[in-house]
Amino acid sequence: MTLENYEEMMDGCVRCSKCKFLPQLQIKSKRFSHICPSIEYFNFHAYSGGGRMIMANALQKGRIEFTPEMLDVLYSCTNCGGCEVSCKWVYDLEPNEVIHELRVKAVESGAGPLPKHKKYIELVERYQNPYGEPSEKRPAWIEDDIKLDEDSNTIFFVGCTAAYRREEIALSTAKVLNAGNENFRILGTDEFCCGSPVYRVGDREKAIEIMKSNVELFKSKGVERIITSCSGCFNMLRTEYPRYVETSFEVVHISQLLETMLSDGRLKLTNEVPMKVTYHDPCHLGRMSEPYEPYEGEKVEILSQVYMWDPPKPERLGAGGIYDPPRNVLKQIPGIELIEMERICEYSYCCGAGGGVKAGFPDFALWTATERVQEAEETGAKGIVSVCPFCSTNIRDSLDYRESEMEYFDLTELVLMSLEGGE
Amino acid sequence: MINDKFYSRLQDVVGERNITRTPAILDTYAFQWGYEIESAQRGDEPSRFGQRPDAVVLPTTTEEVQTIVKICNEFKVTFKPFSTGMGPWAGVSEPGAIQIDLRRMNRIVEVDPNNLYVVVEPYVTNSELQAELFQYGLMHHAQGAGPQTSPLASHTSFVGPGFTSPYTGFSGRNLLGAEWVAPNGEILRLGSYEHTGKWFTGDGPGFSLRGVIRGWMGAYGGLGVFTKAAIKLYSYPAPKDWTWNISGTIPKYEWEVPKYWKLIVLNFQEWEQYESAFYEVSDHDVVMMATTSSSEGLAALFTDTKMEAIEVIFGGLLARTRRYFIVLIAAHTEREYNYRVKLIRTIMKKYEGEDLIEEGFISPRSAHYAETIRNMLGGHAFRFSNCFQSTHGGMDTVAMAVKLAQVNQPIKSKYIEKGVIGDDRGEGIWTTTYEGGHMAHLEVPTVYDGASKESCLGYAEYQDECNDVDLKQAYGMPFFIVGDKVHDYYASRTMDYPKYLRRIKAAFDPNGISDSSHYVSAKNKSNE
Ligand SMILES: Cc1cc2nc3c(=O)[nH]c(=O)nc-3n(C[C@H](O)[C@H](O)[C@@H](O)COP(=O)(O)OP(=O)(O)OC[C@H]3O[C@@H](n4cnc5c(N)ncnc54)[C@H](O)[C@@H]3O)c2cc1C
Ligand code: SF4
Ligand code: SF4
Repeated sequence: MTLENYEEMMDGCVRCSKCKFLPQLQIKSKRFSHICPSIEYFNFHAYSGGGRMIMANALQKGRIEFTPEMLDVLYSCTNCGGCEVSCKWVYDLEPNEVIHELRVKAVESGAGPLPKHKKYIELVERYQNPYGEPSEKRPAWIEDDIKLDEDSNTIFFVGCTAAYRREEIALSTAKVLNAGNENFRILGTDEFCCGSPVYRVGDREKAIEIMKSNVELFKSKGVERIITSCSGCFNMLRTEYPRYVETSFEVVHISQLLETMLSDGRLKLTNEVPMKVTYHDPCHLGRMSEPYEPYEGEKVEILSQVYMWDPPKPERLGAGGIYDPPRNVLKQIPGIELIEMERICEYSYCCGAGGGVKAGFPDFALWTATERVQEAEETGAKGIVSVCPFCSTNIRDSLDYRESEMEYFDLTELVLMSLEGGE
Repeated sequence: MINDKFYSRLQDVVGERNITRTPAILDTYAFQWGYEIESAQRGDEPSRFGQRPDAVVLPTTTEEVQTIVKICNEFKVTFKPFSTGMGPWAGVSEPGAIQIDLRRMNRIVEVDPNNLYVVVEPYVTNSELQAELFQYGLMHHAQGAGPQTSPLASHTSFVGPGFTSPYTGFSGRNLLGAEWVAPNGEILRLGSYEHTGKWFTGDGPGFSLRGVIRGWMGAYGGLGVFTKAAIKLYSYPAPKDWTWNISGTIPKYEWEVPKYWKLIVLNFQEWEQYESAFYEVSDHDVVMMATTSSSEGLAALFTDTKMEAIEVIFGGLLARTRRYFIVLIAAHTEREYNYRVKLIRTIMKKYEGEDLIEEGFISPRSAHYAETIRNMLGGHAFRFSNCFQSTHGGMDTVAMAVKLAQVNQPIKSKYIEKGVIGDDRGEGIWTTTYEGGHMAHLEVPTVYDGASKESCLGYAEYQDECNDVDLKQAYGMPFFIVGDKVHDYYASRTMDYPKYLRRIKAAFDPNGISDSSHYVSAKNKSNE
């Protein structure tokens, strides 16, 4: 797809502002009515999903060009996909897809991404990760008692953030896998960034190169199944890779696997973890992870001036994300009481880190996380649980900033606490 | 073009973060649904891009708005305010103008459950307000434009019919008070906002300022800026312990329907039966909603996707639907509920009608009840097309609405035959009653192809013909009387009211800087 292909769709925007809010039936209070952090923080219409779509349309029609100010608007979006869920419920439009396509165009035309993004893309190319850390340090989180099975065709794809910044998540994931007798190995120093930070800011060409080389790597290592603890990696490997490259591996998120391990009795949760918690849906595990079904078809007039896709176009409304497994696991931990926030599942509110925002607009990223933390605090829970190292970083930053009494937990950490003989 | 000095004066008021003249951002204020018709009429290719403002400001207090308006007067710069900004009337119309986006004014100032009013700022949306009011067992009137639009915009500046109109009337009827930054920069507080007398100046001993600021139509942004509105509240018919409980995953949400609610679709063979039944139902004042559309419209209202709607249409609804209206019974108690259901059924029988729900031709789900009360059903029309507009709109009697539906049918059919507008056999209408049925409203939603000049111009021609019929055969004022030309078109049959509107405009807007494109200008521009 190119921006040009989206022109008819972009012309169809009604400028109704529904994409700024939760799907309207889900609004339960004024305080938490928004779905788009960007419009909430910056306020000009251009900062909404619909606004960015108009901007893309204006560029396509030659009314505007890429300028530093325009790029700032384009990139101060977490690419969370919330706008698209709210819009698509009513219209046949895909604002988030358009935003991504506009980023691709920005990169292709030499204008984008932002200097900070360019810097981390360079780091990915040089060091295999956006943090510029040496490859040798990638498996440094491993402790001696972690059992790896070098013959296994299943790998735990650790991901850059868990490997270098949120080592505790990498470790607890490995430990629960061991506890459930799930054989796996890791790629260690050979692991390469999944490409998410490169792809999200529109450098599609480089991202596809990374995808290709990762797929080759997996093939050469005989990988048939990939476990991720990172929602961003999960999203790339399961949802985005198949759009661009041929894949022959299964991708499973740790929350799904934990649910399975509990149901088939491989894991037993016995220790009480007496705590009220609330669960944050990472966008990339939730609505954004819904697979794309390949589609070829055309619009036909079925009633006068009323068009439909022939054959019917698969709908990607956000219902196909991973919402239940982490909740089902939490509910099985003795002592845990799960209290939901107002914004959950397909209409969850973003943590604020994604889409290059944490690097490009740290203040905005922190503000968004703080909105989310306040929502979590209002539930009365003591713990905020999620399943993504990148969400974890941003939410923890906000907890520190607010000096909040809440504590952040990765799901695997809670499972570990509850395991028979666990920590 | 605005100059740097003007810009920096505004910047001093709102701060650097809240003002912009970046073209890419400005263009997102130049794009509106409906502009394609205007551009086709100008002879251009149809486009939703219209006039780009020179700057956008985001004030957060009434005082900031006042200062902005005063600076505009000083520099003679035209301004246009909007609340959520949906529709061609929200954008600026001429070069060198600025947009006042009221998004940061989003507070619910006060809820008074005893005296049944709420005071809101412009960017409180219908769904936000509704969500907050339920805890008091109250609701407000929300215009049909949708839950994401602004009740203040509608109450102060627009007509405002909605799905609950039989119960809650229309927006103009529910405005109890307003804080108004007049185009000359004066702040006026009018209406009976507080019984202690704080704002009690409006419908007082002199003439009605509520009439001055809005009358029936509203000024569509052509008469300054409204920064607060006091809005009337109504009892919400649900048990005290009922809460807004919604479950499921998109698009199949489920809602906990209050116990004594019921949707009925009364279908009659002929207009006469329909009219008599509509009058009788309205007279008894027992329904929250009483509305008519086409059979396609009915299918769109109570399904979740376009595909489902098509299946319902061809699964028998199209063949079966004749003259119908949908009612929502929403009662407080079992006794009230039983009485109402029995009454509606008796009226239905009396006029040989049937209930299309009971007969199995259409099956609203619980979420559709929620969408009814949240004023979301209008949005379902967009599942068929992103391009539709309404003609007619007269607010008069049920009898007139019925007559107009009949008169319109052959006119619409003519344009359908030409292939310029969507084919609903000329039967697509939207009707609702108001306030116990002494009034009714009929407009005619019409689908066209926004990418085709021929279709846009065809629609425009159809609209002109409708306006002509409304005028010559006295079918009430159409919904969208916008701008000097259209206002003047009706002047001869309506005691030359634009003359008086212009005096009001001149008195409050001596510099003519409150964008008049969808209102009247002080000097009659249509004669120039
Ligand atoms: C698809 C669609 C369907 C619609 N359906 C209906 C319907 O069923 N019933 C109905 O009543 N209307 C309907 N409308 C019209 C709509 O109600 C009005 O556009 C408006 O009241 C919606 O709220 P808003 O927040 O978008 O208003 P805006 O677009 O922000 O404003 C509407 C008008 O009021 C002016 N205005 C807004 N706020 C202020 C303010 N604070 N001070 C001064 N002027 C102001 C604006 O300049 C503009 O001219 C529809 C419009 C669209 C586009
Ligand atoms: S992707 Fe998220 S941040 Fe970006 S415009 Fe959409 S809702 Fe807003
Ligand atoms: S993108 Fe969709 S929801 Fe947003 S303004 Fe446009 S039509 Fe409305």
